[in-house]
Amino acid sequence: MTKTKWVGMDVTRIDAKDKVRGALKYMSDLSLPNMIHGAVLRSKHPHALIKKIDTKRAKELDGVVTVLTHEDVPGLNGFGIAIPDQPVLCGDKVRYMGDAVALVGAESKETAERALELIEVEYEPLPLVSDPEQAMLESSPLVHETGNIHNHVKIERGDVEAAFKEAHVVVENTYSTPRQMHAFLEPESGVATIDEDKNITIWCGGQHPYRDQLQVARALGMNPRKIRIVNTPAGGAFGGKDEITLQIYLALLVLHTGRPAKIVISREESVVAGMKRHPMKIYMKTAASADGTILANQARVVSDTGAYASLGGPVIGFAIEHSCGAYRVENVDLEGFCVYTNNCVAGAFRGFGANQVTFAVETQLDMIAEKLGMGKLDIRKKNALRKGDIAALGHKMEASVGLMRTLEAAENSRLWQIREELKAKPSAPHKKRGIGIACAFQGCGLGKGLPDYGAATIELLPNGQFAIGISCPEIGQGNTTAFVQIAADYIKCSIDDIVMLSGDTGHTLDSGTSTASRSIYTGGNALKLAAENLHDAISTVAAEILSVPGNDIDIRYESAVSKSCPEKTVSFKTIAEFVKKKGKTIKSEGHFLWPVSETELEGYVGIPHLLYSYITQIALVEVNTLTGETEVVEAVSVPDPGKAINPQGVEGQSEGGVVMGMGYALTEDTIIEEGITLTRNFSTYILPTSLDMPHKIDTIIAEELEPSGPFGAKGIGEAVCVPISPAITNAIYDAVGVWMKQIPATAERVYTALKNKEVS
Amino acid sequence: MKKVEPEHKKLITFTVNGDDVEVEISSSDRLIDVLRNKLELTGTKEGCGIGECGACTVLMDGKPVNSCLVPAFQVEGSEIETVEGLDKSGKLHPLQEAFVEHTAIQCGFCTPGMLMSALALLRENPKPTREEVARAISGNLCRCTGYQQIIEAIEDAATKLKALE
Repeated sequence: MTKTKWVGMDVTRIDAKDKVRGALKYMSDLSLPNMIHGAVLRSKHPHALIKKIDTKRAKELDGVVTVLTHEDVPGLNGFGIAIPDQPVLCGDKVRYMGDAVALVGAESKETAERALELIEVEYEPLPLVSDPEQAMLESSPLVHETGNIHNHVKIERGDVEAAFKEAHVVVENTYSTPRQMHAFLEPESGVATIDEDKNITIWCGGQHPYRDQLQVARALGMNPRKIRIVNTPAGGAFGGKDEITLQIYLALLVLHTGRPAKIVISREESVVAGMKRHPMKIYMKTAASADGTILANQARVVSDTGAYASLGGPVIGFAIEHSCGAYRVENVDLEGFCVYTNNCVAGAFRGFGANQVTFAVETQLDMIAEKLGMGKLDIRKKNALRKGDIAALGHKMEASVGLMRTLEAAENSRLWQIREELKAKPSAPHKKRGIGIACAFQGCGLGKGLPDYGAATIELLPNGQFAIGISCPEIGQGNTTAFVQIAADYIKCSIDDIVMLSGDTGHTLDSGTSTASRSIYTGGNALKLAAENLHDAISTVAAEILSVPGNDIDIRYESAVSKSCPEKTVSFKTIAEFVKKKGKTIKSEGHFLWPVSETELEGYVGIPHLLYSYITQIALVEVNTLTGETEVVEAVSVPDPGKAINPQGVEGQSEGGVVMGMGYALTEDTIIEEGITLTRNFSTYILPTSLDMPHKIDTIIAEELEPSGPFGAKGIGEAVCVPISPAITNAIYDAVGVWMKQIPATAERVYTALKNKEVS
Repeated sequence: MKKVEPEHKKLITFTVNGDDVEVEISSSDRLIDVLRNKLELTGTKEGCGIGECGACTVLMDGKPVNSCLVPAFQVEGSEIETVEGLDKSGKLHPLQEAFVEHTAIQCGFCTPGMLMSALALLRENPKPTREEVARAISGNLCRCTGYQQIIEAIEDAATKLKALE
């Protein structure tokens, strides 16, 4: 493996100092001279026809600059990553409570909000559908005229029925999962400007500036080149800022008024209007032989995407791809439906459909192990995917597979080794302890059939430093620090000599999204190619300076050296000065196209994947048998990210993922009844606090180097929050003997399950 | 045309990070509005607006408060400390240094509030247990880190501050 100076080191985050000083300007911190303040009027009904919109009174209010409706959207009145089915401003119909009906720009935020109250909208309420299974029925109200089933996936291999007959053990269950909220701490916010030539700049936290640019351009009917999007920094995203949030509203305000504009929405508006994780109902039937070999898996998954598609289509595909877990299964019958309802829109969220099905399949596996009297870790080892295996969709695991490595490290962890000792010591007699383990894999990148590409730029600055540009935004995950480390090792310079440009269509080429555990692999590989091109350009100049042939140059740390005459060297700094004197620049680009799986699944895009990250997680829980409350006492997280570019950063991802997955397992759910969101803020949406987190989270990084990755790296941002949820529910079973098939496993649900167990 | 009554304005004086300030406020202003919009101290963040997330934590007469819940008129005569005051000397505060070293920061939006809660803790209790640290920041939500690196950073800062004495 290539020797590295920076990669693999705990390098300090490049944004750390500005963040601890409170000096970093988030989008909500920006103010522009003469700016107006925007506010969005959301729907009053979850499903209704709009008969009339009267903005007269609002427009007459002192301080109101503009009031815009669907008639003021110059281009396509729609947005959506997969299909633009969500109106920018609704004209004829609203389909959920977050739908936007009008947009106000005013001299102050207070005036804008007051004006919203003066807009008169006449609605004709329609029957609504809030249950996705009901939405699939012919008799259901239609959310979209095209039908309520947005996407259907069906994959069959082998013969599941025959396997069910032959099997030693068959388990069959129905699971349901909650509408988890991203709960990024910074609500959606942004500012925008427009110049005399109608060039628009939008600063708004997001996850793919070039796609934002496309979506804004489409809605405005403008050339995308006239729109600059800045997405970095975002105060958290987790997939929840992947879709358009406020970008188009900001653009409309500046376009119609010619003045800068700012919108900051409240937490309540963010909750009602923003994306969530898809709630899923999962029916699963799994068969195994007497030795624990999984013989067959049948799954039927219904996913509630709410009123609009966003990435609901790809999410159900991803769920199906991951529905057999990270295991070999020869006979599968897997079917998924992505269904429209009048609920809040669901879209991308860390894990992208894997969380829901992993909860189901990892519970199934524990039930099988229980019936066979087999160890929970042993059954996973028995079935774990290895390189060269055929996975559930019939695709070969062609890239690195680190699952066994994570299982072995988990087995050797302190928590696993002394689990019986720890289980025997609950903190009170009415509390019971249990241990749970679960595994997951997580497709990296956008998958087969979707263009997955990324570019990077490197420029030698006049002072000898290097500016590197990658558009995958910094959303908190730390990719900019990792890019600096990767770039410094490829360029062969100090990290202190790298200037990072991130998430800005004005200063970076399109590197794709900060999603899908893809930015390190994409950006790193693009940087590698850019550094090779940079070295060619540096070599040419160095040869001129040293008066040697161009092919006689070797690039060493911070300098170029003559191969034939090693005492002839010239530093990058001198090269930079030389180039500057000549009035030239050295700038290189790297363009990287993702490799894809050889397997093609006809009719589907986004599945299967070629690369996966792998992970095993363990939870020790303590269940209060009097209240049903579950506490996670300790957790072990063993991710395989490929090469850990910044181990401390991977630990941070891992710990954050454990706690997010713990919230998913135990407390978090955005409750919507009859289309009305009831949990609108953190008073009723229960996020884990510092007192709820495990007393100890041990992260053991199990690197299985991926030869096609930058220094062997893949991605790890998502997998870290996936198997911990079933590890916790499996631990609840181990503690008190009840299987939790519905999460969150709240105190009430566990208590009820305990009572029902007593009765039966 | 709707008639809007003029807002009641009032001049208040207080100190921010040791400096005297005089600000004209309206009756609906909250402390966070005064800090962010009038004094341009945008280090203090708003995450929920109802005192649940703690991103807006500042110290008021030494006690941590959610500045989104404090009406501005109540601030008259008090001493306010914000994240911008921590490195006023030009050098990072040991807490800030520890957050940097431990990567107790991801998106960073909760960081200023976390630091202020931690500062209040260490002033009152220079040798906190891990449990006490966790309790002191339990009103500050963090969605990125899972808290462990933050707790370790605060413990480390406590040790370093003790050594300085």
